[in-house]
Amino acid sequence: MHMADALLSPAVGLAMDAVAVAAIGISVARVKKDEFSEKKIPIMGVAGALVFAGQMINFTIPATGSSGHIGGGILLAGLLGGVPAFLSIAAVLIIQCLFFADGGLLALGCNIFNMGVIPCLLIYPLVFKPLLKRGADVKRLSAASVVSATAGLLAGAFCVVLETLFSGITELPFGTFVTLMLPVHLAIGLVEGAVTAAVLCFIWKMRPELIESANTGKKLGAVSVKKPLIVLAALAVVVAGALSLSASSNPDGLEWAIGNVFSRGDAEAGLEEFEENAATNPVADGAAAVQESTAFLPDYAFKDSESAAGTSVAGLVGAAVTFAVAGAAGLVIGKVKKSKKTEAGA
Amino acid sequence: MPNIASSANGLRALESLAAGRTVIHRLHPAAKLFCALAFIVFTASFGRYDFTRLAPYLFYPFLMMALAEIPYGILLKRVLIALPFCLFAGLSNVVIDRETALSIGGAAVSFGVLSLMTILLKMYLCVMAALLLAATTPFAELTAQLRRLHIPAPFVTVFEITYRYIGVLLEELRSMTTAYRLRSGDRKALDVRHMGSFTGGLLLRGFDRAERVHAAMCCRGYSLRRVPPARRGFAPRDAAAAALVCVPAAALRLFPLW
Repeated sequence: MHMADALLSPAVGLAMDAVAVAAIGISVARVKKDEFSEKKIPIMGVAGALVFAGQMINFTIPATGSSGHIGGGILLAGLLGGVPAFLSIAAVLIIQCLFFADGGLLALGCNIFNMGVIPCLLIYPLVFKPLLKRGADVKRLSAASVVSATAGLLAGAFCVVLETLFSGITELPFGTFVTLMLPVHLAIGLVEGAVTAAVLCFIWKMRPELIESANTGKKLGAVSVKKPLIVLAALAVVVAGALSLSASSNPDGLEWAIGNVFSRGDAEAGLEEFEENAATNPVADGAAAVQESTAFLPDYAFKDSESAAGTSVAGLVGAAVTFAVAGAAGLVIGKVKKSKKTEAGA
Repeated sequence: MPNIASSANGLRALESLAAGRTVIHRLHPAAKLFCALAFIVFTASFGRYDFTRLAPYLFYPFLMMALAEIPYGILLKRVLIALPFCLFAGLSNVVIDRETALSIGGAAVSFGVLSLMTILLKMYLCVMAALLLAATTPFAELTAQLRRLHIPAPFVTVFEITYRYIGVLLEELRSMTTAYRLRSGDRKALDVRHMGSFTGGLLLRGFDRAERVHAAMCCRGYSLRRVPPARRGFAPRDAAAAALVCVPAAALRLFPLW
């Protein structure tokens, strides 16, 4: 589910980066208020590393012959509590991006949101914790794990679709994309939920105090939620602003989809119409636009001449020459460096 | 589970690359961080058919690899990790977007193919920029730089410990896997019934070990609040290097060659 830079527009990427930075900032502030925070930090680090190691544990899924591995957000949240788990996951995602090329640097914000904020800061307090309200036992732990892991993955996958579509890099229609992503992630989510349940139940049997202290969460209860809410609301405004900016400067992406809703032939006029309607009822119209953009006609081609201006046979030849020159320059520098080294050695 | 060893080796390989002493390695980490981010943002900002306009950006990874003396193979292997999803998204463009963009000697090239090529090129450039940052900056310098940028210390520490513990836990995992294999009659993968206790066991071992290590670190005077001083200040040559990357990148974005 890691998103790559190549499929993101800078506006979407940077806006989500801002959201991720804010989420990390708020989480750090909350962790700091915990008097045991210094002791908790190494545990958080190990938990993050465990997500890594966990991905190396292949297990066979009975009757399918395929193998799966564990993902982590809900598992860590069940062990550490939502906020510390979020910080661990964020650290894991940064490491995966920098050292394993899994997810991009610009896409970090999206990835941290999809795989960190959603399971740890949204699904965990809203789904997992309420299910364990009456105390933990094997049944409740299992149910909570499966439901939350599945819900978290589905919500994350849905956000991947939204972020990709807002970036306007792929031509995949919304409907197709969703029907491709959600069933796959439903299956993955159920498997991940089952594994999460198995691990949490084992830990609960061995060290019940670990699970209980994470999930009663009384230590962090004194922190007000007002400030985080204000920050997130402000960010939502920034994101919306950035998105609309990118849409207006990029006529062949989102805007065309919106324009297309109103009049297939004339995107400009459709857009004006959209804007007029948007002024009266922005939410409903925005939703309608998103919904309607699923009606993307595959064979309807909208290519304004400008977007393809750089594309000509000459351009392709130029690109090939550039590639060759860049490669050659690299080789020459490498050779020169090597010969210098051998000279110095001799 | 053969990939445990290869993954541990992969981390070690990057770390040993980062320990080099070339021109690039000696640059200030702030300059390298800034260049990587700027380069990725510029790359991502190109339009979806701008394959040819994006091509000059290839100079960055090629020259960086040459100057930093990084072999092509190590990084290329990692680029392949990012490939599947991009390829999927790109191929769907080929299927959907069939209008002819241009023809080369009678063979038509559709917009979809152009956009697939653009996505793949963008993917290569962005992944390389991130990897080159990791391969030319020692981990300790990177985290020290993050601290100097006022990223909250608890988070940087979690980041650091996670990274450091990956190797430790992979070792632990390897011995547990060996033990499991020996007990289970050389099974290739874990039975799903044992998943809970196996992973749970790894978790508990890890937690215990982390607590011991942390206590030992504290005994030796470790504290979250200590911000390491920079090895050296931000020199004019760092600024010059950053400008050498960012100015051409910006120029090529704003005034494409063709």
